[in-house]
This record gives sequence, structure tokens and C-alpha cells, in this order.
Amino acid sequence: MEPAETTAGQAARGANAGPTSPLLELAGISKRFPGVRALEGVSLEIRAGEVHIVVGENGAGKSTLMKILYGAHHADEGTIRFQDRPVTIASPADARRLGIAVIFQEFSLVPFLSAAENIFLGREFRGPIPGTVDRRRAIREARTLLRSLGFDLDPTIPVHRLGVAEQQLVEIAKALSQKARILVMDEPTAALSERECAHLFRIVRRLRDEGVAIVYITHRLMEVMVLGDRITVLRDGRKVAELTPKETTPDDLVRLMVGRPVKAAFERRARFQPGEVALEIRNLRAPSGLEDINLTVHAREIVGLAGLVGAGRTELARAIFGADPISAGEVRVFGRPAEETPSECVRQGIALIPEKRKEEGLALIRSVQDNLLMSALWRLFPRGWLRPRTAEAAARDMVDRLRVATPSLARPVRVLSGGTQQKVVVGKWLSAGCRLFLFDEPTRGIDVGAKAEIFRLIEDLAERGAAVLLISSEFSEIVQVADRTYVMYDGRITGHLTAAELSEEALLRLAVSHE
Amino acid sequence: MSASASAPSRTVSGPAWGPDVLHAVYRLAAVLLLSLVLSFFSHAFLSWGNILNVLRQASLLFLIASGLTLVILTAGLDLSVGANLGLSAGVAAVVMHATGSALLGSFTALTCGAVIGLANGIMVARLRIPSFIATYGMLWVCSGITYYFMGGGAIYGFPAGFRALGTGYLFRVPIPIYVMVAFLAAGTLITHRTTFGQDIFAIGANAVAARLSGIPVRGRLVAVYAISGAMAGFAAIIYLARVDSAEAGIGEPLLLPAVAAVLIGGTSLFGGMGGLFGTMTGALLLTLVLNGMNLLTIDANWQPFATGVIVLLALLIDTITRRHSERRA
Amino acid sequence: MAGRLAAAPGVLFVMFLLVVLFAVLRPVFLSLPNLIDIGLQSAILLIIAIPQTMIILSEGIDISSGAVLSLCGVVLAMVLVAGGPVHLAFLAALATAVGFGAFNGALICLVGMPAFVVTLGSLGMAEGIAEILTDGNVVVGLPNGFEAFYSAKPLGVPVPILIAALVYLVAHVILYHTRFGTYVFAIGGNREALMLSGVPARWYHIGIYALGGGFIAIASLLLTARMNSGHPTVAIGMEFDAIAAVALGGTSFERGQGWLLGTLLGVLAIGILRNGLDLLMVPSSLQGVSVGILVIVTMLIDRRGARVS
Repeated sequence: MEPAETTAGQAARGANAGPTSPLLELAGISKRFPGVRALEGVSLEIRAGEVHIVVGENGAGKSTLMKILYGAHHADEGTIRFQDRPVTIASPADARRLGIAVIFQEFSLVPFLSAAENIFLGREFRGPIPGTVDRRRAIREARTLLRSLGFDLDPTIPVHRLGVAEQQLVEIAKALSQKARILVMDEPTAALSERECAHLFRIVRRLRDEGVAIVYITHRLMEVMVLGDRITVLRDGRKVAELTPKETTPDDLVRLMVGRPVKAAFERRARFQPGEVALEIRNLRAPSGLEDINLTVHAREIVGLAGLVGAGRTELARAIFGADPISAGEVRVFGRPAEETPSECVRQGIALIPEKRKEEGLALIRSVQDNLLMSALWRLFPRGWLRPRTAEAAARDMVDRLRVATPSLARPVRVLSGGTQQKVVVGKWLSAGCRLFLFDEPTRGIDVGAKAEIFRLIEDLAERGAAVLLISSEFSEIVQVADRTYVMYDGRITGHLTAAELSEEALLRLAVSHE
Repeated sequence: MSASASAPSRTVSGPAWGPDVLHAVYRLAAVLLLSLVLSFFSHAFLSWGNILNVLRQASLLFLIASGLTLVILTAGLDLSVGANLGLSAGVAAVVMHATGSALLGSFTALTCGAVIGLANGIMVARLRIPSFIATYGMLWVCSGITYYFMGGGAIYGFPAGFRALGTGYLFRVPIPIYVMVAFLAAGTLITHRTTFGQDIFAIGANAVAARLSGIPVRGRLVAVYAISGAMAGFAAIIYLARVDSAEAGIGEPLLLPAVAAVLIGGTSLFGGMGGLFGTMTGALLLTLVLNGMNLLTIDANWQPFATGVIVLLALLIDTITRRHSERRA
Repeated sequence: MAGRLAAAPGVLFVMFLLVVLFAVLRPVFLSLPNLIDIGLQSAILLIIAIPQTMIILSEGIDISSGAVLSLCGVVLAMVLVAGGPVHLAFLAALATAVGFGAFNGALICLVGMPAFVVTLGSLGMAEGIAEILTDGNVVVGLPNGFEAFYSAKPLGVPVPILIAALVYLVAHVILYHTRFGTYVFAIGGNREALMLSGVPARWYHIGIYALGGGFIAIASLLLTARMNSGHPTVAIGMEFDAIAAVALGGTSFERGQGWLLGTLLGVLAIGILRNGLDLLMVPSSLQGVSVGILVIVTMLIDRRGARVS
């Protein structure tokens, strides 16, 4: 657990606190995309010397808000005022001029340049001859900056060799070197260890004490309570609350984020008697970072695989599916050794619904029908000869079964909404005759209604005899859907919880440490 | 989530046609239009002899470009097709001269082409060398080997029966045209009516998703490059039959026109879109342009320049349409 | 620096093997005149491999450089034969090369067309123009002093080697001590990041190709002096050696990873290979094959090395 802030810190904040006018004020911001209302009338006040946390589920509008802050999107309606003057942020350059710096989830670092070069990218120090750069000065200044963040990092190392936490520090150093007055951080702890998180929080607090305004976007409620001075809750594009940590609890926040008591979102109709062993993993080790994995899934079971980002769950799914190599251990599927390439695993009856549906699950320019049949062609047409009417019928059957919202089978899938696209990804596997399903974050980025449909579908699969491994970062989902759950941390399985033992707290405990 | 009352979904027409048919019609219209324009500028254009000549040239170009089309559909490139043809032709010529057998010569050309294609496929699919580097290197390997054993000389004089393939007629239509139509039909069937073809499109559209959907990507890629090589070998046969001679350096200049034919035909360099019908119309259009330049007695030296410009124009259109549609995603 | 050394083993290992192999088979290989010859042969290749390095670092490629080099040689020769002074001839060649470079760059960076096919198209165009200008013939009749410039040896060092060394030094400064150079790595490594940092990345990107034109013009000076004529297709294929040299040196085609010294080593490796094969009387047609095999072998060595580390 996080150490409480020191009394010195509290005192400093007390000195800075008081009626201050906001540094940056957004009023009535709305942003629409084709078919989606990302933000509706959102107002936000960002004050110097304050950590303002923005929470919300996926799709609540957090990233759109952030993009408007740094000029990647323009609001359709609403005004932005900086120090009480109206401004427009039309481009990242505008944002920078106002002193807004953003730390993204995917870092914007150049992999083979050094930390120093990355920090001063675009603002290099001039060297003696016009056009040259003063590398030594950049290294000196970078070292000072990094030290001030509490890290003695060699600024000449190319950043691709640094760990995730260190890369993040370089990003922060870069923002600081730009004399940022408003620092926007997007899910900064997504890939950090507990110790690294603690260090990050120290840095955030110090920056805040020095007068920087920090906008901190997260969905981790622990952080919200521990770090935030002010909390804004977004839901479905609107601001539903603005509070301080003293005025609320994590449960309250969840309720505000979801809009209804979490329990009503989805409930299992029934749990089924487990059948034969569908998946058995013994002592698995893989170069992708997996160690000592032991796991079993039976037919008619929905087994959860919980953990934080970076725990190795996707790597495990990929290893089972043959997408990544294994260095030691055994994987048995329906009693037989698992094959080693995806195409062979599919023919064994394994399905993988990947996390990144656009990049790994769909061929966006291809039609709905083509995508739906991509995994099943070998089964529908074993001799290689396509019969258009059979193909169309199979695709239509899937569309009806899953209620995929598309005007025609021939539309390219890129025009479909996120939830519909996910249904296509799932539907792809239904006609392939698979009996072991590996779902990796199947409800990420989908609205609540579609989520429930996907869960119902998963339940159906189990009822009909399939075995399901469900990877999810949303502990509440796992608690609702899974029969039992394994938890992973840092490439290992840290625990196993039966339905009776399953609770969000228990999951979190296993997900954040070895012990 | 928008409610859809048990969506009775319907396609515009069957999966293989639809918008593709429309584009095909546009392209044929372009060919006819260009022919019309050329006939205005030159009286010699509409002569039966000239038209057959154009068709014969286009057929050969189509044959080389057909395998290349499949490779480009997978978002790859086979830059060795020209040099492959040159090498296969040279080897076949040597064999035919030594044994007098057209059958053996043809078999040699096909095998040589296929082996080169297979090597490309292995480099790209198994050694994971980017296709443009691997096939570019293969281009120079083939070129070098051809120059080595052909030297500066030429081999000519092939069996008469063999020559009929390139110069003969059947019902007053040159045989190469039948060959082109046959391969166009076969190729289109493969791309649109087989699982292999659908896999190819999927790989080009998103190779990662294709792999994670259970498509044996590596195997398909090796096959596609082997086919491209084999088609180059086959085109070498037709070439030899028509020109009746072989020497080093005949193949390399064919790369640019082949790429042009594929691109003009609407197959996207970024993969996942296009087809052989487009390549055929592309071959026709390009041959018409070059033929027109000949008839207008424009210096033949301008032809590589013109082809280069055409490639860039076609690529420009491809890039803009692709980027435009990606931005809408 | 350590990160860069890890990429070296492939080419150094291979160079060492080749030197030993050729020294054993043909002892004359190690004689001073022969080693100088290697340097002379490598000079022009190095000058065009340097811009190719920068282009490949920015995740691009240029296969038109051989054709453009030939064209520049033709232009240079034609101006000289027509009586123009050397600096005018050079300016004409420079304009040609930079023109093609900017053209390539504009299509690749502003429109977003794939580099390979764009430079394939401009290869055709350059070759076409060279053929048209010369009608397929060689341009002869250059003024007498010109050839002498190539064989001069100020301070005992042949001019080509001097110029190549000078060009290398300038390139080193550009790549490692200027913003331009930093941006070359950034464009290849994370172009988005560069743009988000407020840098007009597009123009630098085009600049990489245009700058390459400058190097090609210098190379055309040496080439034309060496051959004392302008030949429309003389350098066609040299871009293959240039790309091979860059790949040999360990520069990767993605992500902005690589180093200039590697290209120098790659050029030397190719120079050693070709020289040795010449001594062994292997015809030049097969030498290209050997270069290709060399590249594949070195890439495989580097890949194994990367997997082990």
C-alpha cells in the first residue's frame, strides 16, 4: 500500500491551496465522431499545484479529452481559457506554447537515440558551427534533469535499452525540460511494478508541490484515492461528478463510473458441470517472459486469467495458440500435445480472440463476410474449392446469430463500430468448430450493452461444451463471469481462486505481488 | 449498440463480384477509350496486324505480370521476375539447342523459374528478409548468372513446332492470346474461388491477423513466390517462341512494365486488393501507350521514361485512394 | 557505442575471413598497390553508400542512385565536351541529382508512396533521360586535364581516396553532430514523436533524399574523370552494392538503427570481395552473385547474434 504523504508535503500544499483561479479551464466541450458522441458538454478546471484525476471506463471519453488538450482533436463545441484568456489549441505546437506536455501510454521516444537526444528532440542546443548541436551540454542537462527525478540514469544509452519505467522517466524529463506547467499523464502506471509506481507517485507529488498542474488519467481506483486532489468522473462522454478523495470511496467511484451497481451489469444464468480436461499446461516456460506456468481448463468451464497489464497473460495465450515459441514445458489440448503454429492449433480446435482487434483480429479492408470466414475456410471447403452460396449462407448465419449490425455482408469491416467489430472477431471462430476459446480482453473499448452480449455469448459457448479461458484486466468482469480464476504477475501464476474465493480485492492482492 | 431486428443481411451480389465488376468495366472502358484516341492519331493503329501485335505484346506482359500480381496482393514485391525470365530463357535455349527437344526446353524454363521463385519464397517467408530486398538481390543473382553463361552471344533457331507457340495462329488469332485468356481464367478462379486465393487476400490485407486466424501464412507466401517464378519461366517459353532467340539482358527491362501493368490494373501495392483481370487491362493499356508512341514515331528511348512516369502515376493514385480510405476507418 | 559494436561482429568477421582467404589464395592480394587499388575502387561506392545509409536509416530506400549517377556523369561530360568550365558542369550534375532526390523525397514523404517503387519509377526515368540525351552512345572528347585530376596524388594520397575520406568526415559530422542527423534517426525510429516535438519532419525527410543528390554529384565527378567519358548505363547496378554495403554494416531497414562506420566497413568488405574475385579471375557477372550471398550470410550472422544476446 502507498505510504501517506508526509506532513511536510501536506503543509506545502496547504500553503499553495486557497482560492486560486484555474490555470486552464475547459467549458462545455463536446466532440463527435461519425456515429459516436465522444464528449458532451464536459467542463474541467485545471489548477496549478494540483493533481486532477480523470477517471472513467474505457470509452468514457478520457482519451478524447486528452487529445483535445494537446491539440490532436478540435472540440466541436465549447471554449478553452488559459489564465482567463480564451485560447484555441489547434495543434501540438499550440499546446506546447501554453506549457501543456503529455505523457502518452505508448511513449513517443525514438528508440535508437539516447535519452539526452530524446529529451531535447526539436530543441537541441546549438553547437559552435551553425547547424551543429552541442551534445555535451545536452548530456549534462539531461543528467541533471534525470537526477532531479531521483534516477541516476546514463543519458547516453539508447532508450530502447531502457526498461518501461525508465523510459517513462525520460518522457517526464522531456516534459520538464519544456517547462511544462500542465502535465497530462495517460494511464502512467499501466506497465509499472509496485516499486516503480511508488517512485512515480513521489515524482508526481513533488511536481505538484512545485506548482505544476497535473492531469492524471487512470482507471485504477487505488491511485485515485491516494494521489488525487480533485477527481472528475466521466461516463459515456459526460462529466458525472467532480469530487475530492475525502468526499468519496472507491465503491462510490465505481458506481459513478458504471452508472449502476456493478452487480447488475451481468449475471451468470447458470454454471455448468465441468467436462473433460480441455487444456492442461505443465511447467511452461517461454522466452516471452513466462515462468513455471501450471494451469488446467475443463470443457464447459469459464476460467478467468486475471492480472495487470504486463503480467504475461497475453503472452500465455499466444504461447498456447502457437503464436509465440515455448522453451520448456508441456501444453496438452484435449489430451493431445498442442501444435506449434497457429494454423495447426486452429485445426486442433483452439481459437484466440486477440486483444488488439483491429491490428490482430480483423482485415479492415476486407468485407464482413471475408472476415467472418477467415478462420473457417479450411473447414467449410476442405478441398480448397469455394462455393459462394455456401460461404454466404455461413456468413449470414453468423451475422444473425450474433446480431452483427451491418447493412450488408460486403461492407468492409472498418466501417463498423467497435462493439460490432468485436462480434465479427468472435464470430470468425464460431464456424471454425473450435472447442477451446482464448479470449484476450474481449470487452475492451466496447459499450456496456455490447459487453453483456459478449459475456452471454461466452456463457453459451461453455454451455455447449466449449472450454473458455478469459483474460481480463477488469476484475469486476472476472468476478461476474468466471467459474474460477488464475492470477498472473510478472510472467508467473501467483494464485488460483475458486468461485467462492473470488472477489476483486482478492484478485488485486494476487495481481500485484509475488507473495 | 444499435438494435438490429434480426438483420436480414444481403450482399449487393455474390462475394467475388459486385464493386469489382464495376471497376473491371471502368478499366475495359479505359482500354477502349485509349484505343479510340490512338486510332484518331494514327491510321496504322486500326490495322488488323497492329491490333494483333498489341494483343500479342500484352499477352506476354500479362503472363509475366500475373504471378507478380499474386505476390503484390500479399503486400510483397517480386523484383526478380524480369531477370528470372532472362535466366530461364537462357537456360531453356541452351537445353533446346543441345537436345533439340522443345519439350525438354520448356520443362527446363518452367523448372528454372519455379526454383528461383521458391528461393525467393524461402527468403521472404522463412528467413524473414523483406521481400523487396530479397527479390532485388535475386534479380542481380539471376542477372549475373545469365551473363556468365550466355556471355555476349545469342542463341537462336528453335524447333518450328515450338515457335508456333509464339508466332502461330488458331482461327486467325495468335496463340499467345489464347494462352493469356486461359491463364486469366485459371488465375481468376484461383484468386476468387479457392481458399488459397482468399488466404492470399487476407495475408495482404493484414498478415498478422491472417496468421492469428489460422492461415498458414508462411506456406502461402512460399507458394505465391514460387508461382510468380514459375509464371516468369512460362513467359520465358512464350518469349523464346516468339522472338526465336535468347541472349543475356532480355529479361531485366521487363520488370518495370510488369510492375506498371499490375499497378495500372488497380492492384494495390499495399496488399489485399486487386486481381488478375485488372492486370490484364493494365497490360493492355500500357502496351497501347507504348504502341501509340511507336506509331507516332517517338524515339524508342522514351519508352523506359514513359513507363517510369506511368508507374509513378499509377502508384500515386493507389497511395491516395488507400490513404483516403484508411483515414475513414 | 556498445550497442553499435554488437552489430559489428558480422561484417568484421566476414572481412577477416575474406582477407585471410584471398591472402592465402593470391599472396599479391596483400601487396600495397593492390590494397590501394581496393581503396580506389571503393571510393565511389562509399560516396553513394553514405546517402543510402541515411535514407535507409529513415526507413526508406533508393534504387535509383545508380541510374541517377550515370545520368549525372552524362550531363557532366556533355557540358565539358561543349566547352563549359568544370564548375558549371558540376552545377549541372548537382542540379540533376538534387532534382531527382527532391522528386523522390516529395513523392515518398509528402504523398506517402512506398520508397521502393517510387525509386523504381525514377530509375526508369533517369535511365530513359540518359538514353535520350546520348542516344545510347558514350560521350567522349573531354578536355585533357580532367582525367589527370583523377590520377593526381596530392601528398601521396590518390585524389579519389582523399575525396572519399573528406566526404565521409562531412557525413559523420552531419549525421552525429547536427540536428539534421538526429532527425534522420528520429524519422526512421519514430516519426510521430518527431512531429509531436514540433519539428517539421516532412521537410527534413525530403531533405535526406535531396542531400543524397549532392553526394551523387560528387561521385559523378570522380566517375566521369576515371572513365574520361560519360556513359549512360555505367553505374546501373551500383546502388545494389551500396545497399548491400549498408546492410552488411549492420544498419537495419527499420526503426532507425544503424551506423555510418558500418557502411564504411561494408564498402570495404565489398571492395575486398570484388578485388579478390578479380584476382581469382572470377567474371564480374558472378561477382554480383557473391555480393548477394555475402549480404545474406552476414545478415544471418547478425540475426543469430541478436538472438543470443
